[in-house]
Amino acid sequence: MSTHTNIDMTIKIGGAAGQGIQTIGNLLARACRDAGFYIMAINDFESRVRGGHSFFQMRISDKPVYAPHHRIDLLIALNRETWDLHKDQLQDDGIAILEVPLDSPSKQVFEVEFSTLAKEIGSSLYSNTVAAAVGLSILGASFDKIADLLSWQFAGKKEDIIQKNIKAARLGYDAVKDIQFSRQPFLKTSNPKGQIMEGSRAIALGAIASDCRVAAFYPMSPATSIMQHLAGWTNRLPLVVEQAEDEIAAVNMVIGASFAGARAMTATSGGGFCLMTEGLGLSAITETPIVIVDAQRPGPATGLPTRTAQGDLLFAIHASQDDFPRFVFAPGSLLEAFELTQKAFALSEKYQVPAIILVDQYMVDAIFLLEHSFTFSKKVERFTVGDKDLKDPKNYNRYELTPSGVSPRALPCTGAARVIVSSDEHREDGHITEDIDNRNAMVNKRKSKLPDMIREMSVPQALYPEAKIVLLGWGSTSGSIKESVEGLRNEGMDVGCLLFTDLWPFPTAIVESHLKDPVKIIITVEQNSGAQFGHLLKEQTGISCTHAILKYDGRPFYPIEIMDAVKEKEKH
Amino acid sequence: MLTPKDFNSDYQNQWCPGCGNFGILEAMKDALATQGIPPEKILIISGIGQAAKTPHFLNCNMFHSLHGRALPLALGAKLANHDLKIIVNSGDGDCYGEGGNHFIHAIRRNTDLTLLVHNNQVYGLTKGQASPTSGLGMTTALQPDGVISEPFNGPAVALSLGAGFVARGFSGNKEHLSSLIQKGMDHKGVSLIDIMQPCVSFNKINTFEWYKERVYETDNPEPDDLPQAMKLSMEWGDAIPIGIFYQTKKQDFTSRIKGLEKGPLIFRNYDPQEANSIFQGS
Repeated sequence: MSTHTNIDMTIKIGGAAGQGIQTIGNLLARACRDAGFYIMAINDFESRVRGGHSFFQMRISDKPVYAPHHRIDLLIALNRETWDLHKDQLQDDGIAILEVPLDSPSKQVFEVEFSTLAKEIGSSLYSNTVAAAVGLSILGASFDKIADLLSWQFAGKKEDIIQKNIKAARLGYDAVKDIQFSRQPFLKTSNPKGQIMEGSRAIALGAIASDCRVAAFYPMSPATSIMQHLAGWTNRLPLVVEQAEDEIAAVNMVIGASFAGARAMTATSGGGFCLMTEGLGLSAITETPIVIVDAQRPGPATGLPTRTAQGDLLFAIHASQDDFPRFVFAPGSLLEAFELTQKAFALSEKYQVPAIILVDQYMVDAIFLLEHSFTFSKKVERFTVGDKDLKDPKNYNRYELTPSGVSPRALPCTGAARVIVSSDEHREDGHITEDIDNRNAMVNKRKSKLPDMIREMSVPQALYPEAKIVLLGWGSTSGSIKESVEGLRNEGMDVGCLLFTDLWPFPTAIVESHLKDPVKIIITVEQNSGAQFGHLLKEQTGISCTHAILKYDGRPFYPIEIMDAVKEKEKH
Repeated sequence: MLTPKDFNSDYQNQWCPGCGNFGILEAMKDALATQGIPPEKILIISGIGQAAKTPHFLNCNMFHSLHGRALPLALGAKLANHDLKIIVNSGDGDCYGEGGNHFIHAIRRNTDLTLLVHNNQVYGLTKGQASPTSGLGMTTALQPDGVISEPFNGPAVALSLGAGFVARGFSGNKEHLSSLIQKGMDHKGVSLIDIMQPCVSFNKINTFEWYKERVYETDNPEPDDLPQAMKLSMEWGDAIPIGIFYQTKKQDFTSRIKGLEKGPLIFRNYDPQEANSIFQGS
């Protein structure tokens, strides 16, 4: 337990896929949120439906938390594997509740036969409810609260099911009532501090705040949950979600929808994004706005399907043949996910270029507490024109050359203007040509959007930017990096960080102004093996990183890992 | 009153003299004029290939997209605005090769559009390689020992997938083709018209003369008789039928989507209150 806060503990529940670990997680998260705590939790699972090993790990604190913690205070193991894999993470004064007894007894370990208790109710399926009640009982929650939670969790199910779950909870609750645990956060509750939310939901909400009307996708972990949220809202909003036959179709559906006038998006992971690169180029040359979310996972190819990575940065910036302007954003928090999704939609349409949002499995699947409400603007600014905006709609030129490079975009079949679009290089009127002067003019037209696009890029979030050692991060690692900076400063080190969300077009001038001091030690912190952001920085500014802290095992960064690595690098 | 001339494009044509595509282009102009759909109200979506250049030579709204991708792009446009009248110009390589998966799923969905497959049994734009519909044994520079894979039968595949309108036309019979296109456009749902079209530059087997000797007009006497339709679609060789092989009423894709009952998406209003209530309730 950290010395800086009264409560900062981590609870981990592990078992096999299919044992309902996520349901336990939902119950615990909800209980802790209702009791006024800040939480953040990771869902860790294998790419399988049954068996294997999965866990839910939640940090509970009375201060905001944005990163997972590496030590466990309370471990609940529904199978032996959970104990074997995670016993070393257990705090010295932490406790573990095991289904299966150990050969050699330990003061820290208690046995509860979850499935035996569950069978008393009628089925081992209630094991997860027993386990949730065990956890909440140890943390000091009242049984009434647990019963309320179960009614909430199983709302809509038959009354009989709810009652059986409450009975199962009672058995779990009572089974551990004699265990004395030093941390009982539920004895000190307060008002809820916010709403529980996953990164995927924040992105989906950002999409509807942008008036997204068509979403097309092909299922791919870890991106599918974003589309699942949107699909759940189609009966309430002018929104259609279509499962395509493949990612190629998905991105082309999005281009078609956008061409016809609807804001549209797709979400995929790196492998699906590979298939979408052809469409990315189509969006670029036809200047049709699209938003693509790439929820990164480790690759190449299938890689680690259910795990996290930041390996697609350079790919996202360079994907598809030849040069063309695009936006790339990487949110690092719920609020950033919500706001950058809106920024991606708005700027994609304003500049008629594709926009890519880079998130990752960690960001998408993790649960955070949203402290401040999302704001939905009353009006969404659109960047299209109709006959009334055109001098001569009958002779409308979709690709009219303008000083800004942006041509007025009319929609097909909505007026007298005929909209002519081609993926071949084209004239101002949209028809094909291979004329030399025209080719140069059109490439330059598209390229000429860049200065204005760069001006739209936001400065990185800076924490102690004047420090001697500056950590650089982008996207979802921001929580872990910030916590490691605070931790290192508490240990007396002069450390700061710059956290980037607006990655492309690269905001060179902004970055240079932050990193111009030549005596700085610059360390890039990334979840890939090649220090991709470090390379980008060097390429765009000439500034080299002194060191790189890289993690590519598919698991999120713990702040302690960054702290240890910084201390190690500083020695050299 | 619209005439075929209203659909003339100022853009200079790029096809070879005598190309079978001209017959299709003229049939389309005739069909559009007869249907009374003005150029600004028609959207033509195409992939890549000589067939896919068709909309450039017509006065219309158009999206000349990527090889094989016209159908998903058309579906996206239809989702955004299901009032759009869409024709897709595709070729045998574009639709049955590169876009084969999209072809299958566009038919499964029954997207309301008219799909014209200019089937010349060869790759024209890339200068003469075998296509998915090339006959067995056809030799090309890239298949010097002859084609060894069975030809793809678009109409038969479409029938097997449950398409509601399947026809075969011939670019050398403009009046008949125009009538097929019009009936296809009248049909709600996907309508496939596989159009036999000679390639004067690269297909020395399936020439105008070759077709003229073989094609005969016939419609399925019972339009929804599927076994008979299948039989017509498989008939090839000395006699090749052109006409409507199959037609039956089926609900089209966008009218199956509940959320579209209130009208095309692009004409609906943004609803920040509802979005906010989704957020609050989440």
